[in-house]
Amino acid sequence: MGLRRNDRYPGRLFIVEGIDGSGKSTQLDLLHKWLVSQGFLVVFSEWNSSPIVKSTTSRGKKTHSLTPMTFSLIHAADFASRINAQIVPALEAGAIVLADRYAYTAFARDAVRGVSRAWLRRLYSFAVKPHISFYFDVPLDESLRRILTGRPELKYYEAGLDLALSDDPYESFRLFQGMIREEYDLLVKEFGLVRIDATENLIRQQQLVREIVSPHLNGLMRAGNGGLQTALQEANLQGRYLGETLQRGAPIE
Amino acid sequence: MTQLQFFGDPPPGITDRSLPGRLVVIEGTDGVGRSTQIALLKEWLEASGYAVLGTGLRRSTLAGRGIARAKLGHTLDPMTLNLFYATDFCDRMERTIIPGLRAGMVVLTDRYIFSIIARAVVRGVNRRWIEDVFGFALVPDIIFYLDIDVDHLIPRVLNSTGFDYWESGQDFLRGRDVYKNFIKYQSRLLPEFHELAVQHDFKVINARRGVLDIFADLKTGIGDVVEGMMNDEPAPIVEDADESLTMKEIMAKPTSAAPWE
Repeated sequence: MGLRRNDRYPGRLFIVEGIDGSGKSTQLDLLHKWLVSQGFLVVFSEWNSSPIVKSTTSRGKKTHSLTPMTFSLIHAADFASRINAQIVPALEAGAIVLADRYAYTAFARDAVRGVSRAWLRRLYSFAVKPHISFYFDVPLDESLRRILTGRPELKYYEAGLDLALSDDPYESFRLFQGMIREEYDLLVKEFGLVRIDATENLIRQQQLVREIVSPHLNGLMRAGNGGLQTALQEANLQGRYLGETLQRGAPIE
Repeated sequence: MTQLQFFGDPPPGITDRSLPGRLVVIEGTDGVGRSTQIALLKEWLEASGYAVLGTGLRRSTLAGRGIARAKLGHTLDPMTLNLFYATDFCDRMERTIIPGLRAGMVVLTDRYIFSIIARAVVRGVNRRWIEDVFGFALVPDIIFYLDIDVDHLIPRVLNSTGFDYWESGQDFLRGRDVYKNFIKYQSRLLPEFHELAVQHDFKVINARRGVLDIFADLKTGIGDVVEGMMNDEPAPIVEDADESLTMKEIMAKPTSAAPWE
């Protein structure tokens, strides 16, 4: 079963996928800054960030009480909340939505945990199909080198310790990431993800990303910031307290 | 024996084919008298020598609090709410219901996936989608449906908790009139239950009658299901069974008191 059609919205949805250490968030961040500098209205959505769901997810993670199924369902709840409250409204308004990880993350991770692939596709059938899905492809050894340099503390689910692949978190992480990478290879074919060589020079990768995105930007809404900078200059103000206003407007946990 | 049969794909990590306990579901709309009947049944079953485990919507350690909190806000859409309930249900199924069945208990559940499905469909959620999502749910040994109509329901609700915000559809129906919305909402919800009753072979109990008449019918129905349990062999000990499903884990965690209410 496919994802929901995206042609009924004037906005555009671009997402990034890849294993940990593929550099996908860095690339999305660079794309974000560029789009904003071009005057586009951009909304950013991060995996596992719904203000009404994420505290339950952290509770489950902290107590190690998530099973493959509850892990999958609570992430789907988080995603649904962001789709309905954030992503779809922004697309309807004609904005660009950038998402760091999307349903494909669940397809890859949860399948590795033994959840039915067919069920996962039906579960996420409410997800809007992205206009472009980038897959940052990195060899396992390279991603591990990037992540594990300095021996950071790996979290339980992040390292896939719930799968009991190994008692050693680093070994478990290596095996887990390798399995996720294999799932991604299948998803690239199934969903037509755009593969980017994540071992390439960072700037060259970003140029490629922009080249691919550019044709999709025609006719999109330009935001500007309501001329705020100009207004501040004219009024001889610095806007010192504007940060507080933004914080107050942020969703409360 | 409860055959481990699921509506769709089974959740990963379950190796048992059957379990010595029994899964008994009591379904019915808000205010129909489910909790009264469950309280009576629990006492009666225990007095008859069975071990009883009670559970119901939103009682999971994982998601119960999160749902309660989310419902207080105003940013909750039906799909998120349903997936939240699915998480809650799954947590209870994997960590309470199945271990209880494995231990040979009668698991008595106040509402099951059917209430969630009916409420979702009334709110415009795609029926196939929500049924698919709950494909991981265990097929119960018996499902009782306490059947009532709106006219008989109103005095019951007034006598107990009054008109609940969600059970009156205030979250999606127009207008602020709780009484009118309650009637409208329940008039849409009850037919959904009826459809599910046919689809899943509910044992329909006429709940317009007195408490003890209803109780007598439930006793007869459950009597048939638990018959022979006393002579069943205990479940074979599974070596290296999925940790999340063992009794050991639940017993070792006195903090998760909810399952043993």
